[in-house]
Amino acid sequence: MAEDRIEFLASGSTSGEKPADHERLEMIRAILDDESVWSEPPHDVGDAIIEAISQEAGPGRLSQNPSRSRWQWAAAFAAAAALALVVGLTGVLTGEPDEIVVAMEGTELEAAAAGEATLRPTGDGWWIGLQVSDLPPATEGTYYEGWVWSDEGDGVSIGTFHLRGEGESVVLWSGVDPANYPMVWVTLEDEDGDPSASDRIVMRGRIPDDQLR
Amino acid sequence: MNWVDREILERFRVGDEGAVKAVYERFRGPVFAIALSILRDRELAADATQQTFMKAWRAASTYDTERPFKPWVYAIARRTAIDIYRKASRVVASDQIDGVTSPPGLETAYEVFEVRAAIDELPDEERQVIKLSHFDGLTHQEIAHHIGIPVGTVKSRSHRAHQRLLGLLRHLEEM
Repeated sequence: MAEDRIEFLASGSTSGEKPADHERLEMIRAILDDESVWSEPPHDVGDAIIEAISQEAGPGRLSQNPSRSRWQWAAAFAAAAALALVVGLTGVLTGEPDEIVVAMEGTELEAAAAGEATLRPTGDGWWIGLQVSDLPPATEGTYYEGWVWSDEGDGVSIGTFHLRGEGESVVLWSGVDPANYPMVWVTLEDEDGDPSASDRIVMRGRIPDDQLR
Repeated sequence: MNWVDREILERFRVGDEGAVKAVYERFRGPVFAIALSILRDRELAADATQQTFMKAWRAASTYDTERPFKPWVYAIARRTAIDIYRKASRVVASDQIDGVTSPPGLETAYEVFEVRAAIDELPDEERQVIKLSHFDGLTHQEIAHHIGIPVGTVKSRSHRAHQRLLGLLRHLEEM
């Protein structure tokens, strides 16, 4: 990437000629100056959406985990487990400090499975890259779910995947501190709407104590 | 980048609470950004944000999960903000002929959405430097003092942050 473009985006000027796309860069600079891209919606908007969907869907339609309060966002973000696609993100985030690497091994259900979970802090949580080998694609009607688990027995979902045609790398996300949730599990789940973890643990790993901050 | 896994979308379509939260968490920033850039009112922008996710959920059964999700959400957010703008404009200026009013922030709505999405992907320390530099208008020296790190570190971090931001916004060059 041309240094002059980086310089122009950062400062609005360059030591040499303006980049060819300086107008676009100026527009991005103007957007970065504006409060709209830095603002967050009020905290109650998320609650209101869930409430509205719940009402509109009718009783029992909106599946949820009764053991958790409705919008405990820190845990919920992880429980929601948005799966950012691997495309691009891996390259973007390589080389970050504070990386934690967890060796993953298959349980008796998938003894041949092996892999590695890499945890990197982001601004609002933890990016978790999961590399696995010899874990078969989840069959139709099932999927895999990643979890971080505390020593007290509390698990938080970090995302779902099925490995059907998507390679052996997935990106997961956690909103909870790994220091409190040092174990990483992968379970096999049925598509039955039950948000709780099944007892079919197929892979597990634990953050080494010397990597916990 | 598509940002949301197909399985999350499938669960979103059937109203799975975890998936609804996931989609909200992933897109609340860009959706609120586009709403605020068009409406210039936090209350209206919050209303637009809520309506956007409600509309997305209602329309989810018709959404083709083979297609990228982000542009679909963007289209709903933009449309919703415009509708709210026009309704609000009618209230403020009831003597104006409605239906033709266009909000002033519309031209850059897509870029606002994409820039916020890119900001959300930056590492925290880089996002902080960009915010302090652009939004707060601080110099490298002032940022160094504010964060408590050497000015040289601020410079290198700022360079890295802007480089990464340009990379994340590379697709805008193709438009």
